[in-house]
Amino acid sequence: MTDEPFKRLMCLGCGFSYDEALGLPEHGIAPGTRWADIPADWVCPDCGTPKHLFEMIVVGYAPGGPDLARTA
Amino acid sequence: MSQSFIIRNEERGHDLIKSDGSRSSYIAGHPDGFVTRASSFNFHEYQGGRPGFGTIRVFGDEVFHGAGCGYNMHPHHNFAICAFVFGGQLTHVNTAGEGMVDQLRAGDYYVFSAGSGGKHSELSITTEDMQAIYLWVLPEQLYLPPSYHRGHFDFRRRRNELVQLVGNADGALPIPQDLRVSRLIADKGRTFRYAPRTLGHGTYVFVREGRIGCSGTELGHRDSMGLSSVDGFDIEIIDDDSDILIVETVMIDEANIRTWESEHAGH
Ligand SMILES: [Zn+2]
Repeated sequence: MTDEPFKRLMCLGCGFSYDEALGLPEHGIAPGTRWADIPADWVCPDCGTPKHLFEMIVVGYAPGGPDLARTA
Repeated sequence: MSQSFIIRNEERGHDLIKSDGSRSSYIAGHPDGFVTRASSFNFHEYQGGRPGFGTIRVFGDEVFHGAGCGYNMHPHHNFAICAFVFGGQLTHVNTAGEGMVDQLRAGDYYVFSAGSGGKHSELSITTEDMQAIYLWVLPEQLYLPPSYHRGHFDFRRRRNELVQLVGNADGALPIPQDLRVSRLIADKGRTFRYAPRTLGHGTYVFVREGRIGCSGTELGHRDSMGLSSVDGFDIEIIDDDSDILIVETVMIDEANIRTWESEHAGH
């Protein structure tokens, strides 16, 4: 376990975001899954951009954003 | 301390993407359509250069070649995407709001904030090549309601004037970011002062046509320059009909860019 804050990352090919806190349950990734624990050959579910072309971002959500992100 | 970088035309990432094989689902106009793209910052596989500037992630100078060429319907989230059309006609089909079809010609431009998600397709349906500059910007917040706005730059009436196309000036199109895009078409011998809002705003100057002196550096056709931590600089027009795009962005502390800069220090 680690106390490190959850990170948010964004796909540079299309803008799809991955939030460690939320995971992507609809794509089989449980909430709380760290970016480092996602396989290196994982690609963006929307555009196929490889994992290494995601960028860590520090950007907050619009109101209601987390609920929309959870089911993206 | 003021900082700057220069990206010469030939230093940009140059791609030619044909509508064939697996690419034909991405690029429209199979079998002979193709898109050429010169990227100032990173795009997809193009990772050779500077990864961005402030909130800018993509600055792509693109041409759609052949009737029917463009990008097929594809999804976006979060990015605020602007297109500035310089030639030909861009037919833009977008699902934002209730969905719409827009057609843009030289001088027209749009701001599409993808926010919580939207799809779009961009096509050139005439025989003339479509020329546009695409700008992608990180949003102020994630999962905003999607929005679409379009505007027109009147290059005959607004010559020799710095005109804000995107931002918060009168008549500019709104964008969910602390960012302004201006355009200047001007005559030889004129000088214009550009002053970013604060020292915390950087400015990216791109010469689409002509030749200028930018803060003392000569920039020719498709050369560009980024300036940060300066309170203002002069743009001297060297060639007649010079056409310049200026993007002013808040300078966020961005790890990817800092890492790239330290790895390329002294180059
Ligand atoms: Zn993507």
